[in-house]
Amino acid sequence: MPESNITPLIQLKRIGKSFPGVRALDEVSFDVAPGELHAICGENGAGKSTLMKILSGVITRYEGDLVIDGDKVSFTSTRDAEVAGISIIHQELNLVEQLSVSANIFMGRELQDHFGFRKDRLMNAQAKELLSSLECTIAPTTLAGSLRVGDQQLIEIAKALSLQSRILIMDEPTSALTESEVARLYRVIEKLRSNGTTILYISHKMDEVFHLSNRITVLRDGQFIKTLETASTSPKEITHLMVGRPLEQADSELEIEGSQNADQMQNREVVLRVESLSLAWPGHARGYRLKDISFDLHRGEILGIAGLMGAGRTELLESLFGATSIAPTGRITLDGQTIAPRHPSEACRAGLALVTEDRKRLGLLAKMNVGRNITICSLEKATTGWFLSPSRETTLASAMVTKLLVKTDSLRTPITTLSGGNQQKCIVARWLLTNPKVLLLDDPTRGVDVGAKAELYRLIRSLCKEGLSVIVTSSELPELLTLSDRIVVLSEGRQTAIFQRSEATQPKIMSALT
Amino acid sequence: MFGDSKLLKSISSVLSIRGNELSLVFAIIAIIGTTIALDSSRSYIEYPGTSAIDVLRNASLLTIFALGASVIIISGGIDLSAGSMIAFSGTVIACSMLGLQSLGTPESPTAPWIVISGGICAGLLAGFLVGSLHAWLIISVGLPPFVATLATLVGLRSLARILGESTTSVLLSAKKSQIPIEQPFYTDFLRENVWIWIATAVLLAIFTAVLLGYTILGRHLYAMGGNEQAALLSGLRTDRLKWFAYVFGSMTASLAAVFYLANEGVSAPVTQAVGHELNGIAAAVVGGCSLQGGIGTVSGTLLGALFLRTVIDAVAKIIKTGADVWQGIIVGVVVVLAVTLSQYRSSRAAGRKLFAGPLGLLAIVILASLTGFLVATTSGATVGFSAFTLLAALMLGYRSFESYR
Repeated sequence: MPESNITPLIQLKRIGKSFPGVRALDEVSFDVAPGELHAICGENGAGKSTLMKILSGVITRYEGDLVIDGDKVSFTSTRDAEVAGISIIHQELNLVEQLSVSANIFMGRELQDHFGFRKDRLMNAQAKELLSSLECTIAPTTLAGSLRVGDQQLIEIAKALSLQSRILIMDEPTSALTESEVARLYRVIEKLRSNGTTILYISHKMDEVFHLSNRITVLRDGQFIKTLETASTSPKEITHLMVGRPLEQADSELEIEGSQNADQMQNREVVLRVESLSLAWPGHARGYRLKDISFDLHRGEILGIAGLMGAGRTELLESLFGATSIAPTGRITLDGQTIAPRHPSEACRAGLALVTEDRKRLGLLAKMNVGRNITICSLEKATTGWFLSPSRETTLASAMVTKLLVKTDSLRTPITTLSGGNQQKCIVARWLLTNPKVLLLDDPTRGVDVGAKAELYRLIRSLCKEGLSVIVTSSELPELLTLSDRIVVLSEGRQTAIFQRSEATQPKIMSALT
Repeated sequence: MFGDSKLLKSISSVLSIRGNELSLVFAIIAIIGTTIALDSSRSYIEYPGTSAIDVLRNASLLTIFALGASVIIISGGIDLSAGSMIAFSGTVIACSMLGLQSLGTPESPTAPWIVISGGICAGLLAGFLVGSLHAWLIISVGLPPFVATLATLVGLRSLARILGESTTSVLLSAKKSQIPIEQPFYTDFLRENVWIWIATAVLLAIFTAVLLGYTILGRHLYAMGGNEQAALLSGLRTDRLKWFAYVFGSMTASLAAVFYLANEGVSAPVTQAVGHELNGIAAAVVGGCSLQGGIGTVSGTLLGALFLRTVIDAVAKIIKTGADVWQGIIVGVVVVLAVTLSQYRSSRAAGRKLFAGPLGLLAIVILASLTGFLVATTSGATVGFSAFTLLAALMLGYRSFESYR
C-alpha cells in the first residue's frame, strides 16, 4: 500500500525531547504514509510513548518539526491535535468511570440546544450507533466504570471515531484483552483501515505487529533505528533491532532444564497445600471470586497459574497472602501447619512473599531509593538496639543487588530511574531478604522488556534450585509454558485443570481457559 | 531559587541540607535584614535580646505542633484539628487544675506540683484520646482524614466550651466558659523562662528527627506516606502506623497547649489558637513536606516555623500594628510563594505559564489590587495606587515575556 510517490501524511523531522536527566528522544525522523498501519516497536524506555505524546499534543515543547499534510504544525493542546484529526488511545485508559458511556464519548464536545441544555438523548442515540459499528452492544447509559477493560477500550475507539479522526494512535491496545476481544479489535482495525484511517500501532507483541502492519519502525534508547517493510522482515530481525544484540537462546535452555526438573518434583515434600479455597464475592451475580481451588506445591517447584483477566489469578495469590478484604474459606497448610493469614504481615511472618502484579501502584515505593526499597520488609535485621544502623542496612541491600545482578549506580539511586526489569528485581530482592518458603509472583514480567525477561526467568529458576517454591501467574501463556513445572488453569474463579509440564500445550490450556 | 550557584551547592552539601532548606535560611536572614532597615523604632538593634526571645518563643510554640503536623503529612494524612485540639487541651488542663484544687481546703490546699502535673497529664491524655479517635475514624470507619479531623476541628471547640461551663457550674457554682489559671508557679515560671519553650521544641525536634530517620517506625511512616497500598502489601501494619501518627499529632498539640495556657493565664475555648492548625501545616509545607505524603524533614519544618514567625514579626515591627491582624494574610501569601518558588523550575520546564489566558489577566488584576489595597492601608492611597500600577505593569511585562519564550 505505501508507495514512495505518495506524499507522506505525517513527517517527523529530527524530533528530540529531554526530561531532567534523561534524553527521551534524540533526532527521530521518519514518515507515515496515508492509510497505512505503521507499527512502532521498541523496548520499555525506547521513547515510543514520548513520541506518541508529542504527536497527540500532550507534550507541547520539543525539538524538531512535526509536519502533517505537508504543513508544519505546533499543537498547544490535545484539542489542537484532535482538530488536526489525530486521536490517541492511551495504554492507561482515560475514562471518567463515574460517567456514562455516551458522556465519555462526547466529553468536551457535548451537544447542546439554544438554551444551553445538554441533548442527552441525541448523544445517547449517536453513541449507540457508533458502538454498534464496533460490534458492541453496550447501552450508552451504562457507567463506564462498570465495564470490562476490553469494552472500555472500545469506548475510547468510539470516541476517536466520533471525532472522525484520520490518524489513530493505539498504545499497546491488547495488553488487557481476552482472545475473543483481540479478534474483535482486529476486525475493528480492518474496518477503520478500509475507511482510510491511518493507524500508528505501538506494541511489543511480534505476532500482532506482523499480523497487522504494513511497515515497522524500531526505536531504541530514544533513537530512530530503522523503518522496515513488514513483508520483507522477520520477528527475529525486529527483536534483534529492538534489543540491539541477538537474543540468547535462554528460553529453550530453561525448558530442557525445567523438564528434567519436573519429573523429580512429584517425589519431593509438599511445602504448601491448598484445599478447597473459596473467596466470596458479595453483591455479584456469580457470588464467588474463587471456588474450590485445591493444589499442592512441592519444594523447589514452579507452579504456574493460567487464566484470563478476571479469572481469579490475582485473587488466588491475595487469598494466600491475607490481602483480601473478606476472609477466604478453605484450608491452607504451610510446612505442615495450618495458616489463615488475615493481614499481609501475618503471611509474611509465616514465610510467604508476594510480588504484586501492578508494580507501580502496589509494589514500588517511588519516593525512596533502591536500597530502602529492598530493605523495607526486613528492617528488624538492620537495627542495633532501637535504632536503624545505616551500615547494616547497606550490607543487606548490597548483598541482594549483587546476588540478583540489579543494574544500579548505587543504593541511593531513586528507584524510579531504573528500568522495569531492574525495578522488578528490587521487589524480588525485598522479599528474598525475608527468607520466604514460598514466593508468589503475580505477572512478574509485565512491563519488563524482552532482554530482562529472560534474565528474570533464569533468576526464578535458580531460586528454585536453592529450594524456594514459586507460584507464578502470567498473562502470556508461552511464558507459563517456559517457566512452570505444572500449570493450574482457572476459569471464572474455578479450577478447570492441572497440567504436568510434559502434557501442557497451548491448545489444551486454551480450551480449559474458557 | 538559590540552587544554581556552585558555591551554594558545596555549602549545602557540607551542611548536608537540601536546597530548599538553604533557601529558607537565606530567606530568614534576608527578612531580618529588611526589618532592621525598615523598622523606624529600630527594635531589632535597640533590644536584640527581647526581640529574639519574642520570635523564638512564638516559633517554639509553632514548632511543637508543626512537628506533629509534619509526621502526619509524611505518613500520607492530614490533621485539621490542631488549633481546636490546643483549645480543648487547654480547657482540660484548666478544669483538671480546678478539680484538683477543689480537693484541698483553704487550710490545707492541694500541693501545687500535684495540681500542675495532674493538669498537664490530663491535657496530654486528652491528646492521646483524640488522636486515637482520629485513627479509629480513619482506619475502621473509613473516613478520609480530611473529614475525620474537620469534624473534630469544629467539634472540639464546642466540647471544650461545654466542658468548661459544666465544670465551673459544679465547682465554682457559676457557669463560665473561661477559666483562669490560679497556679502562679506554672504560669509565671513558663512566662519568665523562655528557654524552656525553646528547649522543649528542640528536644521534641531531636526526638522526631531520630524517630523518622533512625527507627523502623520512621521508615515505615515514610513508606506508607509514599505508597500506602504497596506498604500494606509489603506486610507493614499500616493501621498501627496511622494510629501512631495521629496520636503523635494530637499529643504535640496538647503539649503546645501547656505553654499556650501558661502564657495566656486563662483557658478560653472560643478564641484560643483559632487557625493554628493551618499555621502548623503551613510550616510543614514551607519546610518541604509534600501533602501527597512520603516526603519531609524535621529540619525543614523547624526552618519553616522559624521563617513564618520571622515574617509575621517583621510585618508587625515594620507596620506597627498587632501581629495577629496580619498573621492570616502573611501565612497565606508565604505558603503560596514558598511552594510556587520551589516548583518554579519544574513547572517552567513543563511549559506551564503563570499568567496565561484570561485567567492570567484576572489574576494580575487580583494580585495588583490586593497589594495596592494593603499598601494603601499602611502608607496612604497615593502610594497604594502607585504600588498597584507598578505591580500590574511588572506582571503584564512578565506575561508578555512568558508568551514569547
